[in-house]
Amino acid sequence: MVKLGKQARSVSIVGVGCTPFKNFEDHPQTKGMSEGDAFGYAALEAIADAGLEPRDIQYFYHGAANPFMIGDSLTPNMQVADWFGVRGIGSVHHSEACCTGYVALQEAVQAVACGTYDVVLSGAVDLAASLPVVDAPGCFRRDFPLSEMLPSIPKVYDRAYGRPFDSAFGISFDNWINKYRWDYDLTAEQIDDALNGVSKSLRRDAVLNPLAFSTKDFDQLAAENNLPDADAYLKGFGNPKVTQYLRVTGFEIKCDGAAAIVVMPTDMAIARGLDHKVIDVLGTGAAAYEGATPDNEYNGTRDGVEQVYELTGVSPDELDLLFVNDFFLAGDIVAAEEVGYIPRGEAWQYAIDGRMGFDGDRPINTHGGRCNFGHAHGASGVADIVEAVRQMRGEAGATQMPKVPQTTFLRGFGGGQNIRCQILRTHD
Amino acid sequence: MLLEDMEPIAKRFYDGVAEGKLLGRRCTECGAIEFPPHLGCNACGYHQTEWVELSGHGTLESFVVPGIQNDKPYLKAVAPYGYGKVRLDEGAEYSFVVFCGKKKVVKGLQERLYKGHESIGVHFRPIKRVVPQKEGSDVMVEWWQPCFELDEVAE
Repeated sequence: MVKLGKQARSVSIVGVGCTPFKNFEDHPQTKGMSEGDAFGYAALEAIADAGLEPRDIQYFYHGAANPFMIGDSLTPNMQVADWFGVRGIGSVHHSEACCTGYVALQEAVQAVACGTYDVVLSGAVDLAASLPVVDAPGCFRRDFPLSEMLPSIPKVYDRAYGRPFDSAFGISFDNWINKYRWDYDLTAEQIDDALNGVSKSLRRDAVLNPLAFSTKDFDQLAAENNLPDADAYLKGFGNPKVTQYLRVTGFEIKCDGAAAIVVMPTDMAIARGLDHKVIDVLGTGAAAYEGATPDNEYNGTRDGVEQVYELTGVSPDELDLLFVNDFFLAGDIVAAEEVGYIPRGEAWQYAIDGRMGFDGDRPINTHGGRCNFGHAHGASGVADIVEAVRQMRGEAGATQMPKVPQTTFLRGFGGGQNIRCQILRTHD
Repeated sequence: MLLEDMEPIAKRFYDGVAEGKLLGRRCTECGAIEFPPHLGCNACGYHQTEWVELSGHGTLESFVVPGIQNDKPYLKAVAPYGYGKVRLDEGAEYSFVVFCGKKKVVKGLQERLYKGHESIGVHFRPIKRVVPQKEGSDVMVEWWQPCFELDEVAE
């Protein structure tokens, strides 16, 4: 029996599916799409990709960041099961805000690793660009202005202290990148150049990905605004800093989307003789620090990184590809160093030099990440896993890395604040 | 904390803030200060803690300047401020709103903290909050929010 790490049996990803990450209300093909439609399309694509039928799924996980507000639902797993032909099987809903998608992988792997189930689907959906019309069917959506979204964000923080102290939200965006700046004696201008460098690389990746929200790169946007180049656009009046360091382009693009994966024991995956590579899940490092706990993103990442390297025996020099939940963009720089993917003190320069794009030597978020691919909150972590698997199979289309990656690290983060650090490896 | 000693910890804490007191809990095994107060000890994982009144004084360990995304009008109305990690004199650390007295102090604080490695003292500075019991209600709930302020503002 194949056995990797400490799990009772090894588990592999055998199927992936992902809807476009768009504002569904903007496109005739997606306008009127309900949560059930979206989850169902992603799930059926993942099941077909695994060479299975819905009847082969034994259990499924449903993730969503904020189903009560965004989905007008308290029991969303019950409400999507019939959409993809699995009525009656066991399922559960989970919600860890923006870390949901990585928890989705961990939970599914554990359900198979322990031997309870053999074939498990794990998916997530958030129609985060719009809001439901309450008391109307799920195909009716309305706009979701920032004025309605912002009051919901503090609800990820502890009601006893984290939220009333009112420091968690304010300190979260810039805390780690500010420390990084001063640790390496950088200027605010250098950090700005580094973040804009990340934006340029990741936007280029997203524009080449048909599933991504962004369809125009910054050179195109500059030309449309009569500006000389991408840098002029990124530093211009239309892209102001909205925190001490982050510009508008350094924040997530809220969108609609769903994604799903199918996992099974590695032995079963090999025996089935799939027409694509089998991707093994080597392990997960997990941490959770309440949002007002000082340095929570740093501490959680440090803990998760340490755990997953110890669990898997993988070392940073074996990594070919990194995914970082970058709903605020600075995470790509600081987490890349904490993971050991880029030497300490150098990620800012790598960003400026354009080395983080799909064809660079240290690619990060090859689909563009939250600020360019789009952020369908709970679903985005699963979309990261889908993109990682496609890269590792050599099926990533226009943004396929020149050297097909063998080992991928995912740094999940979110939900005030959960951390999951996961390593995937192509089965040899 | 066991059931026979049950009391509402958060309520007692906020009652203390309203009286100008900053309360924490001390672990009865390792002696670490649990702040803000919870039932168990997060330093060593022991189950028992006891109330302790803290000095309300600490040192600023990090500082972030708000932009339009993370600025709060109700805080700005009190005084120029930022967000920071405070290490209390008793050892615990937490994130707080930190009032700075003047805007130019906010702007220069990171340089002093990170480059000058200056030890910047801060003290407890609660602010009163009044919120409707529910949207549109005339019934108001009054409570006090624990914030900090640079010592130099009071000097």
